[in-house]
Amino acid sequence: MLDPYVPLVLMFVLATAFSAVSVLVAPLIGPRRYNRAKLDSYECGIEPSPQPIVGGGRTPVAYYLTAMLFILFDIEMVFLYPFAVTADALGLFGLVEIALFIATVGFAYAYVWRRGGLDWN
Amino acid sequence: MGLEEKLPNGILLTTVEKLVNWSRKTSMWPATFGLACCAIEMMTTGGSRYDIARFGMERFSATPRQADLMIVAGRVSNKMAPVLRQIYDQMPEPRWVLSMGVCASSGGMFNNYAIVQGVDHVVPVDIYLPGCPPRPEMLLDAILKLHAKVMDEPLGPARAALKAERGERTELIPSSVRYAPRGAGK
Amino acid sequence: MTTTAVLAQAQQRLSNAELLADDPLWLTLIKVVVLFIVVMLTLALLVWAERRVLGRLQNRPGPNRAGPFGMLQSIADALKLSLKEDIRPARADKWVYIMAPIIGGIPPFLAMAVMPFGGEVTMFGVQTALQVVDLPVGVLVVLACSSVGVYSIVLAGWSSGSPYPLLGALRSAAQVISYEIAMGLSIVGVVLFAGSLSTADIAAAQSGGWFAWILPISFVIYLISMVGETNRAPFDLPEAESELVGGFHTEYTSLKFLMFFLAEYANMVVVSAFATTLFLGGGAVPWPLSAIADNALSSGYWPLLWFGLKTALLIFGFIWARAALPRLRYDQFMKFGWKVLVPLNLVWIVAVTALRVLRNAEGVTSGQRIVIIGVAVAVLVLGSLLLPGRQVADEEPQVPLAGSGYPLPPLDLTVPTPPRQRRTVRARAEQPREAVTASGKEAGDGNA
Repeated sequence: MLDPYVPLVLMFVLATAFSAVSVLVAPLIGPRRYNRAKLDSYECGIEPSPQPIVGGGRTPVAYYLTAMLFILFDIEMVFLYPFAVTADALGLFGLVEIALFIATVGFAYAYVWRRGGLDWN
Repeated sequence: MGLEEKLPNGILLTTVEKLVNWSRKTSMWPATFGLACCAIEMMTTGGSRYDIARFGMERFSATPRQADLMIVAGRVSNKMAPVLRQIYDQMPEPRWVLSMGVCASSGGMFNNYAIVQGVDHVVPVDIYLPGCPPRPEMLLDAILKLHAKVMDEPLGPARAALKAERGERTELIPSSVRYAPRGAGK
Repeated sequence: MTTTAVLAQAQQRLSNAELLADDPLWLTLIKVVVLFIVVMLTLALLVWAERRVLGRLQNRPGPNRAGPFGMLQSIADALKLSLKEDIRPARADKWVYIMAPIIGGIPPFLAMAVMPFGGEVTMFGVQTALQVVDLPVGVLVVLACSSVGVYSIVLAGWSSGSPYPLLGALRSAAQVISYEIAMGLSIVGVVLFAGSLSTADIAAAQSGGWFAWILPISFVIYLISMVGETNRAPFDLPEAESELVGGFHTEYTSLKFLMFFLAEYANMVVVSAFATTLFLGGGAVPWPLSAIADNALSSGYWPLLWFGLKTALLIFGFIWARAALPRLRYDQFMKFGWKVLVPLNLVWIVAVTALRVLRNAEGVTSGQRIVIIGVAVAVLVLGSLLLPGRQVADEEPQVPLAGSGYPLPPLDLTVPTPPRQRRTVRARAEQPREAVTASGKEAGDGNA
């Protein structure tokens, strides 16, 4: 009768309403006393040193690398799920195919490992 | 000002005030400002034997943004004083300060040019706790007296005037009396 | 019961998806609201329970002043946080700063909506299932929700406008996505055996045996990665080292911080409920009790109890791990997540697929089976031989050992002269030196 996603939409609306109301009502409920230092960034008590513009500051490259690897393996995961659902129907052919697929990704993974892409992060 | 301070006087306000104060005292998160030897006693108070978690205070938060109570535990040098003030300023209202130990309260044994002679030169203190270092039980006693003080806080200028007029104060009942098992020896 | 009776009954049983497709809107609304309230109560209970259980595990009482057994502690926390002053740092990006906690608070509830709490019941006269929605891709919904949760972490750190939260957020996010790979891969085995991505179907497919026993390695990997995914001990360095500075929620006060606080515990509940669904049979009653009345304790509203107990057991595991285990260093657990869990997962997936296919496929002769197994073994053996061994560089020079076995200090040490004395020594050496007999005896250092 109903589109199966409707309950999810209802839950989404409820959760959003709760979160948004809590967050937006917060400044109204609490006391408000201005103080110059309160609006500074927390830097363990010292005066905050001038930083380059937020987001343009130096971010270690290792995080970028981890995110890229995550994308790759996530895509691999996404390919594994439909295979897992239909594995019985595909039988031996599917097994060999998926073994080759995983081996291909495995070669890339081994290369990244040897080149140190998975180190100290 | 906050919503709470705009409510009209009456029974509802008394109940709201009690609820607000109760929640603030039951869940008062300390900010770690352990500087010297008193910090060890503060850590012991957080340990198993003297458990500060009973009062809901085990979540010490390092960032002042989520802290309510700043326990200045230890001697504050002149170099550390602006840091102390900055951290105090960055705490959101309502906030309290407990100066733990004689060094924080009055300079202690360090009557010299390097140590601030009492942290109340730098931040407004709500409760002083002498001792060198104060035992964990003394720290808990100070915290409980601070809780009683928090329960007395008026919710706005109208309530403040009313309370000053009536002279109401929260009674300080020692834990050994209040939590004594029923029917224990008189 | 006779076989025909069992078969007849089996044909009458509708799957959860079919039951839920007929739900009227008002019933769905009731279920959504009830689930929301139940999750919120669970969170409040969980905050209290964690502090009490952690206290008891550490030989101390935990909160016990706030009402009987300290049960009002979570309420006091929430109320206090809502009455705190709400600070927005001057350098914070206003709208992203406000959006980040909102984004963090939504996904756990969406993920809970697809959990199969039970089977068929009759609610207010309508035949329905104990589940809010059963999508054919329920597993993907849960994984998607945990991925969206990473957004809230990164946006919170970035929008705070200061370097510490940004770095804390990046570390936290890098950890979460690494363990999400391990988690997602460990689920592939389960999907293979269940033949479906729908959570209700996976729960129902375990009637022959829970996947925790059938796929033990998947279960273990999932347990480890769920702890890593939620940033909990022993993988909580971003939370703890940053406890020195606060991590991504350093600059957040009052209700926004409460949102993050709740989102963390809600994620714990979601991954525990997911583990219950995937590996512990969902709402099915555990083994000794399943013999009672031919599995009657798995019907009606009973599954709610079993589901709750299993989830509670896993959450207790979370708290236990936090109390008992020391924290791992950041690079140690990142290495573990990428270098141990991912290859283990891949090998296990191939092994499980191979075993299942070889057992089920009809057209496979025993000759082909032997060939496949032989190839697999050969690949593993060759692979392990070809893997480079760890080269331990012998950096330190060999230390001479004396007869007693203790290392000797270097015997050719000369005490270096300080610079000023070196200049005067050189100046004195350039001058012609007369042999002065009296002090000449002590001119050398006694050895010459």
